[in-house]
Amino acid sequence: MKRPTLTHSFGKVAFWSILLSIILLIVMSLSITLGAASIDFIVVWKVVLSKIPIIQNWITVDWKESTETIIWDIRLPRVILGALVGAALSLAGAIYQGVLRNPLADPFILGVSSGASFGAALVMAFGWQIAWLGKFTLPFIAFLTGLASLMIVYYLATVERKMRVETLILSGVVIQAFLGACLSLIMALSNEQLQTIVFWMMGSLSLTDWSYNQIVFPVISIAVIIAYFFSRDLNMFGLGEEVAHHSGVSVQRSRIIMLVLASLITGAAVSVSGAIGFVGLVIPHIIRLIFGADYRMIIPLSVIGGAIFLVGADAFARTIMAPRELPLGIITAFLGAPFFAYLLRRARRGYF
Amino acid sequence: MLSIQQVTKKIEDKSLLDNVSFDVPKGSSIGLIGPNGAGKSTLMKLISAYEKPTSGSITFHGQDVQQWNVKKLAQRIAVLTQEGLAAYPIKVFDAVLLGRYPHLGFFQRESKKDYQLVEDVLAFTSLTDLKDQFLDTLSGGERQRVAIAKAMVQQPELLLLDEPTTFLDIGHQLNILKLVKEWQQKDNLTVIMVMHDLNLASQFCEELILMSEGKVVRSGSNEEIIDSDLLKNVYHTTPEIIRHPKSNVPQILLGHF
Repeated sequence: MKRPTLTHSFGKVAFWSILLSIILLIVMSLSITLGAASIDFIVVWKVVLSKIPIIQNWITVDWKESTETIIWDIRLPRVILGALVGAALSLAGAIYQGVLRNPLADPFILGVSSGASFGAALVMAFGWQIAWLGKFTLPFIAFLTGLASLMIVYYLATVERKMRVETLILSGVVIQAFLGACLSLIMALSNEQLQTIVFWMMGSLSLTDWSYNQIVFPVISIAVIIAYFFSRDLNMFGLGEEVAHHSGVSVQRSRIIMLVLASLITGAAVSVSGAIGFVGLVIPHIIRLIFGADYRMIIPLSVIGGAIFLVGADAFARTIMAPRELPLGIITAFLGAPFFAYLLRRARRGYF
Repeated sequence: MLSIQQVTKKIEDKSLLDNVSFDVPKGSSIGLIGPNGAGKSTLMKLISAYEKPTSGSITFHGQDVQQWNVKKLAQRIAVLTQEGLAAYPIKVFDAVLLGRYPHLGFFQRESKKDYQLVEDVLAFTSLTDLKDQFLDTLSGGERQRVAIAKAMVQQPELLLLDEPTTFLDIGHQLNILKLVKEWQQKDNLTVIMVMHDLNLASQFCEELILMSEGKVVRSGSNEEIIDSDLLKNVYHTTPEIIRHPKSNVPQILLGHF
């Protein structure tokens, strides 16, 4: 008989997390080497390591200053933001699918993305700028409007302090439809800014520097940690809502905390990168098909998997039609949808 | 231990339960029987605090179950429903381990003791061979056994069973009930179960409570309740009462065509 040990499942999670993290680092460094100015893989690492105290003493500077600028100031922040946004969207998708017990739930289901897009379109169409926010005006407004639409969805779905999943999803549809109309109206009225708005809605990481990462990184990291502690609750939801209650889960409370958390990280991601579809749907699905539905696996692996996927997709977006850059949302859909279809055809599992 | 006092449950104007009262002493096994719509399942949902009564109260160890913390209550009351666990792709071992949920703090990981307990319970419920299988690959009977194992790991003092054998064939029905019986004898567990099958209820339970249209018609031993006239009034069919050749408990045969 196989003896189960305390580290039985934890060891498995750790093994795959480390393996995927290594893949993520390789994909990130490869992505940095790509572009108009081709850069050597080794140089990428040297430049990055030379920025770290103590280690920098061991590295001799044998590259041009312009190379360092391209790596450190242009490509690295973008690649890191891509990883963060991918991780965020994927985690949010995994949480939504677990809490709503619906495999087709994605980070945009509760209207967060529509709200954020509406806010962003307003800012772009009217050229608003809040002085003390500067270039963060757009992400800030997008985040707020995303959050506001989420609150309206919750308000619509709550009857006598209880929230039903079916009503919640329908409320999301209602809000999305309404905000979609508002968005179209703004686009119809704003001739000059139309292209900017459309480009933003299709998702892009092109407007990046380090300051975006400094804002998004803490939000995502805290969210990942909180979500991991809820993995038992999410597994319990999978066994059924009533089962969860009978096993001691405060169903309403856990559900609201998880939904708000997922919506916050979606808002944070969308506000800096626009609406990038398919990451939150495809990545948790793939993880589930390979590893099963245990959230102690799904959460860490979705986070890293989402990061790998989006960094890779962004590398495509930048290079495939160079020097033109394609919107990231198009790439994720092109890559994600067929792969998703393939997986669905050969899926064995009934639940998801 | 558990006391149900004048409990009424209404949805809009329809009365699902009407002034139901009874006490459940520790270690007893009580069967709730009665036709569809008698309010048996509703009562179970009220006892486990999944729903609230319109009036009246259900007290567990002197405190209203609605006032109990959900997690604290789950340390003492486990529930098995007819649907059991959803066919969710998680391993049997991990599903059973989730039964430890109410005993663990939010940041606490399962200890060696918890893992050992799961192993013991898997052995007790003959699930050891299936422990690495995914839940969605099991049959209905196996999944219901996993649900029992999960409830055992919860280490409750009161077990509520809401028609746990509805979707199972006769072999699995008996298998599940035997498991519960063994568990009850081992841990002096208190059991309340809703049963459609009067013959199994008569064999399994010490006390039967016959309900109809939201009211308790009569409660008593199986000798008192499995009575042709009484059942006829409630079920509107006339059953024949015979004795089980081995255990001598009253059993019913349905009327002929």
